[in-house]
Amino acid sequence: MMEAGFLLFGAYLITIAVCFFFKDRRVMSAVSIIAACVAIVSVLLILNDMRSTTDFIIDMGPIYIDRVSLFFMSLISFVALMAILYSRGYMWYEADEGAIRFDELRKYYIVINTFIMVMYMTFMVKSLAVIWVCVGATTLVSTFLVGFYRNDHSTEAAWKYMMLCSVGITIALIGIMLTYAATIGVIGDEDTALDWPILYAYAAGLDPSLMKMATVLVIIGFGTKVGFAPMHTWLPDAHSQAPTPVSGMLSAVLLNCAFYAVIRFYMISEAVLPGFAKNVLLIFGILSLFVAACFIVVSRDIKRMLAYSSIENMGLIAIGLGIGTELAIFGAMFQMMAHSVTKPLLFFSAGNIVQQYDTRNMQSITGVREKMPFTAFMMGAGALIIVGVPPFSVFVGEFCIIMASVSAGAYAVAAISVSLLAIVFAGFVMHVFPMLSGHTDRDVSDPKGRIRALPFMMMFVTTLILGLFMPEQMSAFMNDLASQIGGML
Amino acid sequence: MDMTIATNLIDICAVSMLLLSVLSMTTLRMAPLIRLFSYQSLALGLMAAIVAYSSDNPHIYIMCVLTIGIKTILIPRILYYVLERVEVNNEAKLAVGVPGSLILSGALIILSYFITEPLLATLETMERNCIAFSMSVVLIGLLTMVSRRKAISEVIGLLMMENGLFLGALAVSHGMPLIVEVAAFFDVLVALIIIGVFIFRINRSFHSMDVTNLRRLKE
Repeated sequence: MMEAGFLLFGAYLITIAVCFFFKDRRVMSAVSIIAACVAIVSVLLILNDMRSTTDFIIDMGPIYIDRVSLFFMSLISFVALMAILYSRGYMWYEADEGAIRFDELRKYYIVINTFIMVMYMTFMVKSLAVIWVCVGATTLVSTFLVGFYRNDHSTEAAWKYMMLCSVGITIALIGIMLTYAATIGVIGDEDTALDWPILYAYAAGLDPSLMKMATVLVIIGFGTKVGFAPMHTWLPDAHSQAPTPVSGMLSAVLLNCAFYAVIRFYMISEAVLPGFAKNVLLIFGILSLFVAACFIVVSRDIKRMLAYSSIENMGLIAIGLGIGTELAIFGAMFQMMAHSVTKPLLFFSAGNIVQQYDTRNMQSITGVREKMPFTAFMMGAGALIIVGVPPFSVFVGEFCIIMASVSAGAYAVAAISVSLLAIVFAGFVMHVFPMLSGHTDRDVSDPKGRIRALPFMMMFVTTLILGLFMPEQMSAFMNDLASQIGGML
Repeated sequence: MDMTIATNLIDICAVSMLLLSVLSMTTLRMAPLIRLFSYQSLALGLMAAIVAYSSDNPHIYIMCVLTIGIKTILIPRILYYVLERVEVNNEAKLAVGVPGSLILSGALIILSYFITEPLLATLETMERNCIAFSMSVVLIGLLTMVSRRKAISEVIGLLMMENGLFLGALAVSHGMPLIVEVAAFFDVLVALIIIGVFIFRINRSFHSMDVTNLRRLKE
């Protein structure tokens, strides 16, 4: 375990140092790709260590890794590699075209690697308070990525992102403070009173009225960063203004980071007050789904539409947790995985299109299939996958959540979700396919380079495989994960 | 120190923090707003010292030093520096007028008493009013953020929210674990530096600190 941890953080620290001292973009890109691969290896090593333990938990000093952490860590290791591979083509093109200066590339690589490292840390720490610190740190680091282009729009997006998420985490800290007030009386030792396993073990003895308020505040606070409506307003701005590889990362893993904190708290809160956190999440989930469905239909900017689709998916995951049966939680976690694998595919295809057409307005883009067949295929496939066309992976998650809500007797929730998902489907088809078809006179073409095509292939194959079949060990892992989050293990 | 004296002193600090929050709703200029924030932080720092002394809990002294060092001295300095550099007219633009803001603040104080009511019964250690005061300071900070249109006044709203949070932490549980407190201060400081960078950028892009300019991104 220790070796794997050193390997992971060592790789990223060395990468950051190398990017600091070497200005050659080939070196920076190569080192970042190597670090992302090393991170995947160390996640596998951690998995291997965990399998040798009896209860599948690594608990050492400030480090605590269980199934939930491992699940999120494997998602980030995959998405980080994709984003870094895509950055090589995308950001170099931006530099060649003069959209950014060459020395800004160095800043980009330093900040994005720091960002990835902080996100890994979020999932590995034991104390709720340190999770809070890490989530706060991800905001601070990624503000520079959101405001990376130095124009009015990205400044505006970065400002909103910074202010809203800072307010959010301040509110979350009030919730954590109340949790501390509830636990300190029961546990007594102030250094361990916020450690997650201890909180979970003593949850039944905590004061319900304090925990009720704490739950609401924590879900609102971290929910701001997850992108729950009505606190979502920063999200489409930030996702649309950030450089595309970063948009993919924000959508596919940064939201997960905040959701991870929500899930951790959900598990404690359900042990204290069964059903309370579920209802709160259900309300936010349906509200987010509703808002996202409306805005997907009216949006014109392709990256904003994809951002609203992230809000929709987060809403659906919240609904899954809100239903809270084992099947629903399985569906929610599967949905999270499918979203993390598929959404970068869409963002990166959109990035290819935007870079070539030089506009994000979907109404002024036509003929992508004619001139950019590879991108058009990926964009079309990604759009079908994300709206939940069978047999792809997102369909499996959505199906499980809807089925679970029907069998739990929440017919209204199921009906509302299905109709809103139908609106999302219509919106996506209406916006994406006219863009792909038709004819264009513009001089556009698929970006060249195998490395730029590689992440597309990898994500497409992964999401296809996830939908069609799951290896036995993985489905066992997902089942155990669902029972653990549901408090049934 | 006698326990009742300590309790009274803590109450005085908490009340003055709340009053400074309310007072900040009446200021029309930036520089006094920053000054009010630094006084409020001073009250928080003094309160930490009293709590540390009366509960014999030395780690709260560290919080006292950090509060006074960072929030009373360092952060106002940074804000004054930003204010001087951006050289715009010093007036706070209000979305809600002063009388309206005061009425809203009053309503928020009553609301905080209302929402903290269930907690008052369960907590014995805390000073009775402090948790409601803390919630009021947080809510008034939020009101400052939404009703004032200058970038710096938004920042001060955020910082005052954080002060309210620490007031609550001191009252309810005699502070939080040291690592959380130190990390939270570090977080605030780094956030402020980044915010400063972006205030310069807003000012360069729009020739003003008025955040109503930041409304171009929409469908």
